[in-house]
Amino acid sequence: MQTSMILDWPWQVLVNKYTLSKRQVVNELSTFYSFLLGFLIALIIGSVILIIQDKSPGDTFSLMFKLSIGSVNSLSSSLNKATPLILAGLGIAIINTVKLWNIGAEGQIFMGAIAVNLIYINLQLSNSTSFILILLFSSFLGGAFCILIPAVTKVLFGVNEIITTLLTNYIVLGLTIYLVNGPWKDPDSLNFPAAAYVGKEVYLPNIFGKLSYGFLICILFTAFAHYLKNNSVFGYEMRIAGGSEMTAIYAGINAKQKAFFAMLIGGGFAGLAGGVELLSQTHRVSTGISQGFGYTAIIVAAITGMRPIGIFLVGSLFGALSIGGSVIQTIGVSTYIADIIQASTLFGALIIQFFFNYQLKRVDDG
Amino acid sequence: MNKFLETKNITKTFGKLKALDDVNFNLYRGKIHGLLGENGAGKSSLMNVLSGIYQPEKGAIYLDGQRRKISSPDIASQLGIGMVHQEFRLVESFSIKDNLTLSKSNIFKGDFLKSFKKYSEIFALNANENEIISNLSVGEKQKIEIMKLIFNDSNIMLLDEPTAVLTPQETSQLKISLITLAEEDMKTIVLITHKLKEIKEFTEIVSVMKNGKMVAKDLPTNDVTDNQLIELMMGTVKKSTINKNNEIGQTKLKVENINFFESVSNIKKLEEINFQIKAGEILGLAGVSGNGQVELANIISGIEKIFEGKIIINNNDVSKKGVRSRKKLNLSYIPENRLGVGLAPGVSVIDNSIVRDYFFTKLGPHLSKSRTSNYLQSLIKQFSIKAPNPKAEISTLSGGNMQKLLMGRELVGNPDVIIASQPTRGLDVNAVNAIHNLLIDQRNKGSAIFLISEDLDELFKLSHRLLVIFEGKIVKSFNTADANINDIGLAMAGVSE
Ligand SMILES: Nc1ncnc2c1ncn2[C@@H]1O[C@H](COP(=O)(O)OP(=O)(O)O)[C@@H](O)[C@H]1O
Ligand SMILES: [Mg+2]
Repeated sequence: MQTSMILDWPWQVLVNKYTLSKRQVVNELSTFYSFLLGFLIALIIGSVILIIQDKSPGDTFSLMFKLSIGSVNSLSSSLNKATPLILAGLGIAIINTVKLWNIGAEGQIFMGAIAVNLIYINLQLSNSTSFILILLFSSFLGGAFCILIPAVTKVLFGVNEIITTLLTNYIVLGLTIYLVNGPWKDPDSLNFPAAAYVGKEVYLPNIFGKLSYGFLICILFTAFAHYLKNNSVFGYEMRIAGGSEMTAIYAGINAKQKAFFAMLIGGGFAGLAGGVELLSQTHRVSTGISQGFGYTAIIVAAITGMRPIGIFLVGSLFGALSIGGSVIQTIGVSTYIADIIQASTLFGALIIQFFFNYQLKRVDDG
Repeated sequence: MNKFLETKNITKTFGKLKALDDVNFNLYRGKIHGLLGENGAGKSSLMNVLSGIYQPEKGAIYLDGQRRKISSPDIASQLGIGMVHQEFRLVESFSIKDNLTLSKSNIFKGDFLKSFKKYSEIFALNANENEIISNLSVGEKQKIEIMKLIFNDSNIMLLDEPTAVLTPQETSQLKISLITLAEEDMKTIVLITHKLKEIKEFTEIVSVMKNGKMVAKDLPTNDVTDNQLIELMMGTVKKSTINKNNEIGQTKLKVENINFFESVSNIKKLEEINFQIKAGEILGLAGVSGNGQVELANIISGIEKIFEGKIIINNNDVSKKGVRSRKKLNLSYIPENRLGVGLAPGVSVIDNSIVRDYFFTKLGPHLSKSRTSNYLQSLIKQFSIKAPNPKAEISTLSGGNMQKLLMGRELVGNPDVIIASQPTRGLDVNAVNAIHNLLIDQRNKGSAIFLISEDLDELFKLSHRLLVIFEGKIVKSFNTADANINDIGLAMAGVSE
């Protein structure tokens, strides 16, 4: 329609001749192709940076490949690394069903871990399986609690959730620093402020080798998120509410209530990521619980167009990239190359996706 | 009298639609001109051409006898032409002063306060220049919009339905302000309105458009009668062509003593609305948009919950009930805002197809893919909808197919009561006929239909009885068979004898 209205007038000639129009039919696999092309673009960008640093892209990438998925052991590490990314990404995708953005997954991850430690300290159960399940459930509630204020302010006053969820990250990080330096400080941890380790009885066991049961949880929750988004009545109501609040009201759907629960569930997923990470990897609360998983999860969710199965696959790849990135230091390449590839993949994929969704058309009238 | 501005043979098309068809239009310095025409007649398009927003394919514009090409709003504003649009175009988060001085061509940089005082007086505006726009009332915003033109040194002020959002008191105030501007500042003003009373009171000269054509121009307002204007505006309405001797049954919908106040402004939007519709009957509600139709439809359908009065469907008082319980009593609502209310943009065709029925067909918390898909396919077949890809986003369908999907979804359950609001607005002839046939079929099956429309052809063709709404009141009611088009036109334009 009137694209020209919003642009400045020097553009008018151009804009009058061409308009961007949404394509009638978008290829169903377009997100997948965009991801592949985006990943290719990212590898090219990575290669250029490596060449500038006088390193061979071929050697670097093959080493990364070998050390991240070349053996059962390294593959297990990659999948363990992917687990929190995927869980947090699923949470972001659920919340996005109502067209809201959760930038607060990082804080929710920390809150999930804090909840685990809180319950662990105050409750001692002899049956370790049920204890672990209770702790995992607490982490889910912790994440949901963390997004409670953004959810309430969004629903009652329309406060922008992007800002409030972002702010909660800083609050929770501050809370974590306070806890591990104050009330929860482990005297045995000398220089590095951290809470005491949880007992071995609540460690999440491994399925085999190094692969944690956390990954199984991740698979189950991927299936759950997929079902919730695509096959449940709740998911349907979320989609309508996200499309148009007026249509929801017209249909008798309480749009605000859907948004509220979507946010709590999504926050819970991220909280669970923190719980799993604590029980399977770090075993204690510290500022090192998350290495930016909550932010990388936004990239993962966005690349996949908020599709749970896509999040599972891309999250796994990103987990492998992180593991690969952390080992290539040995040949003198900065670990940041992995971050660059992850971010460039999103960038490339979004640009390619744009051309799947829109086309330039010549205008024939006026 | 010298023509200050003259357009010759302006033609503007949108796709196949001729919004302006060889339009000649004149403006005279220092006069207030009325521009009349039904919705869709092309009034706004003509104003948009004069203010450089639309470029006509054909035609010429002369200003003071000189041919001018108005290729952008910037050029229009340099030529002293400014427009107030139907929707506000103020920067809500800026102050009054910032909005008034925003434009490059504003001339009052030096002595802003002096001019602001002067025009505040003319407009009876009681606000500090540092007040933020979003804190102002609708009436005050309208005043700022018009003042913006003055601060941009516009000598030609094009006002597109400025009174549509004003209360009667605000409208009389605006009249005084505009007359002052024309007389003291020699401003040349165009006033678009649907209310004949305003044409009579505000303007000296009136022109009338219909279907993109200028059907009468430069009529001295004092010499034309309301009847003549209405005839020009409405043209000839095709009198009913369908059989209306179908079987009429029990009363299905009763609307009793509805009064409604808008929640924020507390302005009265509906007053003492009463009517009943029987099975097999179509009751038409004629009226220019914005006279309370949307509010009334929302109250009957349960979207608007706070009102006085009673809604009774099939002898059940549902006044306190929500949308869903009314649907369970088999009420269907086809809202005038197709995409945005009836259909959710950004959501797929298939998701939109089950908006009415998903909670009847769901299996616990599970939404069956095969059931919904079957449901959509049967709609597509029964209502001949062209929707090749169920997963495609809804707005990829044509307007006609969107409306057929929406109608099909609402009619397939054979509803007892149907509210159909502007069901054919903006559709092409084939789609219009298809929609009319759907409504007639449904009538024959015994639905009670409340048809809200601005299109008199449609109302005459389909309805048994007609009501006319003006400023929230039912001002007239007719049996379609004995109704006179002029009487309806006059009632719609607010003329009461
Ligand atoms: N930007 C546009 N794109 C497509 N159609 C338009 C556009 N602007 C107006 N129209 C169409 O042109 C016709 C005249 O519209 P308009 O000038 O707004 O009428 P009015 O102001 O008299 O109600 C209508 O059928 C409308 O749908
Ligand atoms: Mg208009």
